[in-house]
Amino acid sequence: MSLSRMLENWSDLNKQDYYEDEPIMWGMSIDLNKCTGCGSCVTACYAENNIPTVGKEKCGSGHSMHWLRIERYWDEPEGEADLDIKESEYPERGAHFAPMMCQQCNHAPCEPVCPVAATYHTPDGLNAQVYNRCIGSRYCGTNCPYKVRYFNFFDFQEDIPHPLEMLLNPDLTVRSKGVMEKCTFCVQRLRSAKDAAADEGVRGHVADGAVQTACQQSCPTEAIVFGNLKDDKSKVSESWQSHNVELDRHEQFNEDERGYRIFEELNVEPSVMYLDRVRNTEA
Amino acid sequence: MRRRAKHFLFATFDDFEKAIEVISDLKRLDAKEDIISDIELYSPIEHPEVEEMLGEFHQPIQRFSFFGGITGAILGFIFAAGVGQSMFTVQPQGGKSVITIPPDIIIAYEMTILLGVLSTVAAFLIYAGLPRRLKKYYDHTVSVDQIGIEVETDPENNEKVRAVLQRCGALEIREETQ
Amino acid sequence: MSDYSMKNDIEWAKINEDVLASLESPRKAFWVVLGVCFALVLAGAAAEIYQYNNGLGVALMNNPHYWQTYISNFVFWIGMSHSGTLLSAILLLTHADWRKPIYRFAEAMTFFSILTAAIFPIIHIGRVWDMYWILPYPDQRAIWPNFRSPLLWDAFAITTYATSSALFLYIGMIPDLAICRDKAKGWRKKLYTTLSLGWMGRATEWIAFRRTYVLLACFLVPLAVSVHSIVASDFAMSIMPGWHVTSFPPYFVAGALYSGCAAIITLFVLLRYVFKFEAYMTTEIMDKTARLTFAIAMAWNFLNLSEYASIWYSHDMFEHEMLIDKFTGPYAGVVWSMLFCATVVPFAMAFKKVRHNMWAMFWVSLFIQLGMWLERFQIVSPPLASNHEPWTQSVVWPGLIQLTITAASFGWFTMLFLIFCKVFPSVSMYEVKEMVYHRNKHGQKKLQNIDKIKDDMIKTEEGLS
Repeated sequence: MSLSRMLENWSDLNKQDYYEDEPIMWGMSIDLNKCTGCGSCVTACYAENNIPTVGKEKCGSGHSMHWLRIERYWDEPEGEADLDIKESEYPERGAHFAPMMCQQCNHAPCEPVCPVAATYHTPDGLNAQVYNRCIGSRYCGTNCPYKVRYFNFFDFQEDIPHPLEMLLNPDLTVRSKGVMEKCTFCVQRLRSAKDAAADEGVRGHVADGAVQTACQQSCPTEAIVFGNLKDDKSKVSESWQSHNVELDRHEQFNEDERGYRIFEELNVEPSVMYLDRVRNTEA
Repeated sequence: MRRRAKHFLFATFDDFEKAIEVISDLKRLDAKEDIISDIELYSPIEHPEVEEMLGEFHQPIQRFSFFGGITGAILGFIFAAGVGQSMFTVQPQGGKSVITIPPDIIIAYEMTILLGVLSTVAAFLIYAGLPRRLKKYYDHTVSVDQIGIEVETDPENNEKVRAVLQRCGALEIREETQ
Repeated sequence: MSDYSMKNDIEWAKINEDVLASLESPRKAFWVVLGVCFALVLAGAAAEIYQYNNGLGVALMNNPHYWQTYISNFVFWIGMSHSGTLLSAILLLTHADWRKPIYRFAEAMTFFSILTAAIFPIIHIGRVWDMYWILPYPDQRAIWPNFRSPLLWDAFAITTYATSSALFLYIGMIPDLAICRDKAKGWRKKLYTTLSLGWMGRATEWIAFRRTYVLLACFLVPLAVSVHSIVASDFAMSIMPGWHVTSFPPYFVAGALYSGCAAIITLFVLLRYVFKFEAYMTTEIMDKTARLTFAIAMAWNFLNLSEYASIWYSHDMFEHEMLIDKFTGPYAGVVWSMLFCATVVPFAMAFKKVRHNMWAMFWVSLFIQLGMWLERFQIVSPPLASNHEPWTQSVVWPGLIQLTITAASFGWFTMLFLIFCKVFPSVSMYEVKEMVYHRNKHGQKKLQNIDKIKDDMIKTEEGLS
């Protein structure tokens, strides 16, 4: 049976972009000019996705589970004004924040290496992680160039003190030890939005703005835009188009535009576009 | 119908050269009088020359290896591509197609070798007639440094065969009827 | 040089006696070593139980360092397993008769190092209790493992390799088990009677045996090469800088042969000393093994240097950073010790004096193995410490749990090997007999030839005059 299935659909199964004709592909755009590094997206992410807080000690030993993290880099101070404080560890300016979460790569390096197929690509362009299926070989983590996969090195859920387990989000699982977890663009929200649309009789389309990820919802400066990349009129695809960023490129040829995707030269096809920070060095 | 009892003579020799002599003598005797049903040689090490003396052994072990390997290759590929990858839970990963040929070739390669090895070992057991019980007259010295010659013949020809064995310097001759 | 090579007039009965003597009740030292190894295994088991109960975090791995010594130990032991079967098979196919006294323990080493290596994925994995999901079995949910994953290829390759090399070892041992059966008493008699399958040395058995043995060798050579290439694919198929190297498969195979040859030398010296096998494990064989090891060492060094060169001239920013970090960063000590142990030390084998000195070779081989262990560590850890994402770059050294389990793996291997040496003959008796027999025959033939040539020459001279 499966053999006949293989032979009948041979050309289909050998096609490269299997989900080409699907109506939805979730994508994001993050404007670093607007990001202040306040960290409310991180907090929202923790609250929405039942992410364990590990405490000071385990955070120090590198076991923290922040699916979304704010990376802070310090640019080389430019211009005259900074010269006298160049030696200081934290110069007056030059801080650069990059919210980093799973980029939902279309050619994700983490997917094909999982021995039990616990991570795979969903028809709506997400990089799904099936917690129940994961056996914790951690190959996906090593192969992720962004290192945004987090492994449950301990049984963190055991440490939740009594009444606080009431805070957990019932829409998704609480992960036990030995399981890899990661950002899924709040897949529980996307699913319920799709279901709501289906209830109204619309299949394969979710109105722009009908669903927000937790980080997008909580960002005070609206630096994060989220939506369907295959819908030309959605905010996120307008943002991608206006900054001349396209899929299927391993380098964006736009000298004057700010748009880029992180590590796109690795040919992993991330679905998150970043807009570079512009600085006035004269002031 | 009652099976006719088999009668064996088992002689040990301390030198392979002598055993060669015995076998050629016995063959000559057999050609003349047709009294010997079977000759078998017991040795502590392998003597490839034996094949020329006792006649060709029909042991197509390599055929088993070949067909085992082919079966492994086909099964491995069908297993990975047909059963595993094109089942109902189709999972495109990393932008790759559902049936990815190079990994399936690796699976098929390993299965080729696994089934090839297993069928070779099975063929070995079949053609070597193992596992089996030890024969009663089996002599332990054969596993040290002596050569044993087993002759299957009728009890009435016993003396003729025994004479040949003795002439070539047999150390010990045992008789057994099964 | 009286004991340089094996004597040709050695009596066959003496071969049996000498080898079977190694199975008799051991000395006190044996029990001490076995006890130490067993204690190590117990310590490792305790560490594993602690880690199992508390989670893998107690081993001090963290988020960029998802993989650490469990993986490097896995690669190390798989590598160790290579030279036994591979060398035995290659030397069998090339009719190199000096393999005969050493191949049995080399193959046993292969099998036990696979058994050791097979433990590490179990220790490494996050949810051991669901480990069987990696096996391709049909179930009602129609979920299959992912055939694209190099880890699954590993599962296939290692199953195949363990099965085939165990069968190769066993089939090659049947005639010897028959010898043991004829001599043994008590429980050993029962064991050997069962295992020897009623082998009597009949011509039918021998002919089938030889054909099977050569066929198995033909299967094992490509298999062994593929197994370590697949282990190398675990790294080469990923996109990590420092792992994504096309030359990894041959590099790993060379490294596997290299560390395996060193292990053979170590065990060679030890067995020769403990069981007084001086008559069989001769200096000649050591000399040849050392030459082979030296050649493999040079091949490995070439591949190692060409890997550095290909990274350096690739002009890939990430790879460059990784290479510079490797040689100057926090893991530089590991890398430089590795280069000393595995690149500089083997040059000692270029000298005849070293090759012919058993204890010198013993130390050289230990250094090489240390170097090769460090090599596996420096393949796994430093690239993770200098990965693509600068925010996550951090240095983590293996903790106490990991080191205990690493030590336990050595104890486990030694324990199994010691038990093997006392239960099964560690030198192949029938093949040594064959070697003696054929050398004798060839020797006589050669002498006859020389006589004949001399006769001919005399005749020709006579004819001329």
